[in-house]
Amino acid sequence: MVRLLEPVPQPVPSKRTPPRKDADISRKSAFLLVPGLVLLVAGFLIPSAAMLFAPPDVPASEIFARLGEMLTDPYDLEVIGRTVGLALAVTIICVVLGFPIAYWLARSPSRWSGVFLAVAIFPLMLSNVVRTFGWLVILGSKGALGQLLVQLGIVEVAPQLLYTKLAIILGLTQLFLPLAIISCYSAVAQVDPGLDDASRGLGGSRIRTMWSIVIPLTMPGIVVAATLVFAGSVTAYTTPYLLGGSSQRMLSTQLFNYASTTVDWASASATALIMTVLVFLISGLSSLIGRKGATS
Amino acid sequence: MTAAAELIGVTQRFGSFTAVDEIDLAVPSGKLTTLLGPSGCGKTTTLRMIAGYSAPTSGTIRIAGIDSTRTPPEKRNLGMVFQSYALFPHMTVADNVGYGLKLRKVPSAERRLRVMETLELVGLAHLADRKPKKLSGGQQQRVALARAIAIRPKLLLLDEPLSNLDARLRVQMRAELRRIQAETKLTVILVTHDQDEALEMSDAMVIMNEGRIVQQGSPQQVFPRPADRFVAEFLGYENFLTAADGTPLTIRPEHLHIVEKGHGLDATVVDVAFRGVDLLVSLDVVDPSGATVRLLADVRSGATLTPGSGVTVIAPDDHLVSLPR
Amino acid sequence: MKRPITAALAVIGYVIMIVPIIFVVATAFTAGSTLRFPPEGISLRWFDEALGYEPFIEAAISSLGLAVLATALALLVGVPVTLAIHRGKLPGKGLVEGLFLSPLIVPELVVGLALYQQLMIGMDLDNFSTLLVGHTALMLPYAVRVTGASLALADPALEEAARGLGASPLRAFFTVTLPVLRPGIFSAGLLSMVTSVNNVPLSLLLQGRDFRTLPVTMLDYVQQSYDPMVAAASTLILAATVVIAVIAERTVGFAKIFGGINQ
Ligand SMILES: Nc1ncnc2c1ncn2[C@@H]1O[C@H](COP(=O)(O)OP(=O)(O)OP(=O)(O)O)[C@@H](O)[C@H]1O
Ligand SMILES: [Mg+2]
Repeated sequence: MVRLLEPVPQPVPSKRTPPRKDADISRKSAFLLVPGLVLLVAGFLIPSAAMLFAPPDVPASEIFARLGEMLTDPYDLEVIGRTVGLALAVTIICVVLGFPIAYWLARSPSRWSGVFLAVAIFPLMLSNVVRTFGWLVILGSKGALGQLLVQLGIVEVAPQLLYTKLAIILGLTQLFLPLAIISCYSAVAQVDPGLDDASRGLGGSRIRTMWSIVIPLTMPGIVVAATLVFAGSVTAYTTPYLLGGSSQRMLSTQLFNYASTTVDWASASATALIMTVLVFLISGLSSLIGRKGATS
Repeated sequence: MTAAAELIGVTQRFGSFTAVDEIDLAVPSGKLTTLLGPSGCGKTTTLRMIAGYSAPTSGTIRIAGIDSTRTPPEKRNLGMVFQSYALFPHMTVADNVGYGLKLRKVPSAERRLRVMETLELVGLAHLADRKPKKLSGGQQQRVALARAIAIRPKLLLLDEPLSNLDARLRVQMRAELRRIQAETKLTVILVTHDQDEALEMSDAMVIMNEGRIVQQGSPQQVFPRPADRFVAEFLGYENFLTAADGTPLTIRPEHLHIVEKGHGLDATVVDVAFRGVDLLVSLDVVDPSGATVRLLADVRSGATLTPGSGVTVIAPDDHLVSLPR
Repeated sequence: MKRPITAALAVIGYVIMIVPIIFVVATAFTAGSTLRFPPEGISLRWFDEALGYEPFIEAAISSLGLAVLATALALLVGVPVTLAIHRGKLPGKGLVEGLFLSPLIVPELVVGLALYQQLMIGMDLDNFSTLLVGHTALMLPYAVRVTGASLALADPALEEAARGLGASPLRAFFTVTLPVLRPGIFSAGLLSMVTSVNNVPLSLLLQGRDFRTLPVTMLDYVQQSYDPMVAAASTLILAATVVIAVIAERTVGFAKIFGGINQ
């Protein structure tokens, strides 16, 4: 039993602490930033900027000359075009597959939907090397898919599946579908299921309800999903390296080649610049769409 | 008179739990019918089956005489107002109201006309271009109503449409809903757990308990003759006693009279609560069967009653309701 | 099924996500010596080989060590940043937060190239230190954003209440703020560890003779020889990941952990 009325020792006001002043606090909290800022500036910002604009022993002008060349050279253009094209394809596939899955996961009353959500998210924790390696087993020359096609009598000799665009698309879709599902899932979960009912009651079919109610309301989540998948596909390395090889070079594998094999700093920096600009462009575009959606 | 909707032996089970149990119901055309009952008794479930959002486990639902048990909601042409209103947040008020008409491919000029007409009916024509988020609760409620009415539904289904409004607005909207029903001559099913609302608004009331219909009829029929103790309690009968032959009886507090001495039941005053115009008196009463029961009497203030004093309680025969044993 | 299109798309999606993982596991148990399918007999020999293969074991230890160090360092400098952003009176908080999240936007491969060129070649830093700097910088956004999310949820009045009851600022921090932050720190730590251990693009160019990370070592191995040992190693990694996922799910729920970083 607590005796409420018993006196408690009072904190002694310290003479040394001056009364709180706002300026004082802001100076203190700025101090908390210092270690983080040092690390960020020295370990990330300065090296990145220096690499993009002043690599060792190479004048900056050379980078821009290489950049100009790349944007006209057919081989380099092909790599850029392949990167953008594959990233676009993967983005579309991930949204088209991810949105219905997210919708189903968010709306199904089934006990199993929790399990399926976990199964969809789990791969995010798993090494990309492990995930991509599975496609080598499936698509390789003695792999399961080729053997299956032969067994079924569809083809006589197992076709070349590895080192194709299809292989890269499959690999990247596997990699980024979970991200698309999560983004769409949190968007769908915020839409009142009563709105679907209301639309149906007013005469809207399932598909119509999807188009005029659910999709417009989840657009911000879909845009986030598309942005993450596109940026991820443009910058992914493991998948194009293992599944595309040297016959399907993308910007990332090309960059590694310039930096490591040919040690061509100007080309490496120019490639890095293109990659970075692509990612910034898509991020900017997506926040622009997001802002427009918020105001309208 | 034909029934606008008919439920025949309709049951809804969720796993092993029976939410609606073999109900039979005929909803009269052009009238306002209320579904009344305590929380969880299956009102929403019943309404959702009528609307087509969930198929009954067994039984038949007829709408305008046609078996519609398995018809999807979008093919039923019913108007529904949800408890949460479910207004489309990305559309203006006018677009919300016009949504059903657009789906019915009503040409845009006529659509605008009908939208404005409906908005005028609910008194919101001046807010046509607003987004739902910028409306008050009462205004949102009217938009939801307008949206349901605009498609000229065969049946208007309202799931506790007034329960999210504050007390004053709720009373105001009861009259408003009645006026709209009278003007449109729509068949309305209104779900509520508020007996005052049901009594005031219904042409016919249907009282549910634990998934079953326990009584139905007009308020004038139901109110003075509750079918059993559950309905009696639900309608505000608070006094339960037993006749000499063992029949359970009930009477409302305002129908008990207290006299100092006379022919009636012997009683002792337990407590007196002052309520302005009246007094609420608790009494220990010896009922006709000889048992002592605690009763409440609602009497005009001015009487001087002190706890502990002995009095006589008169329960007029024409107000005593006998209940099944 | 009432929604045949949804069902079909969902099946395709799950097949693409899951089937390759199943194939990895199936191949790991083969008795044969190629990635042929169906496997030629069942054996555990490739697990033996993987566990006895020095470069993998060494790399695994290196990767874990690097992840632990980088995560600890990122939290050590990141949590104060979070506190300054959410509780301090800083001008331009949005800008400061944006700055600390910026490593998430720049492609990792580009950061890796930058560190390789500027620190390893330009400043002659050894490859372990460079990896540590890179991984810590990359984990910083997680530390700031994820712990920030749990701090944002907490009522600042809690600390004021503690102060009002007579606690010194330091004491209020340790008795009130830190416990509030704990789930955030846990999530951020877990996320950073997993990200660091699995990282390829950032680590790729920063490999050295005496310090190599596991995923890059495996990648090199796959490129050279085409045998099921990598499948066995992958299966072991998968098993470890499942254990971590279950722990994550039991403690904070991993939908929460992964939902937070992308918003
Ligand atoms: N989808 C469902 N799955 C399982 N049980 C359900 C489901 N829908 C309703 N129930 C149960 O059925 C019973 C009736 O629910 P219903 O929503 O019809 O009640 P109600 O009369 O509308 O109550 P309220 O006044 O609280 O809205 C409740 O016990 C509820 O828990
Ligand atoms: Mg209900």
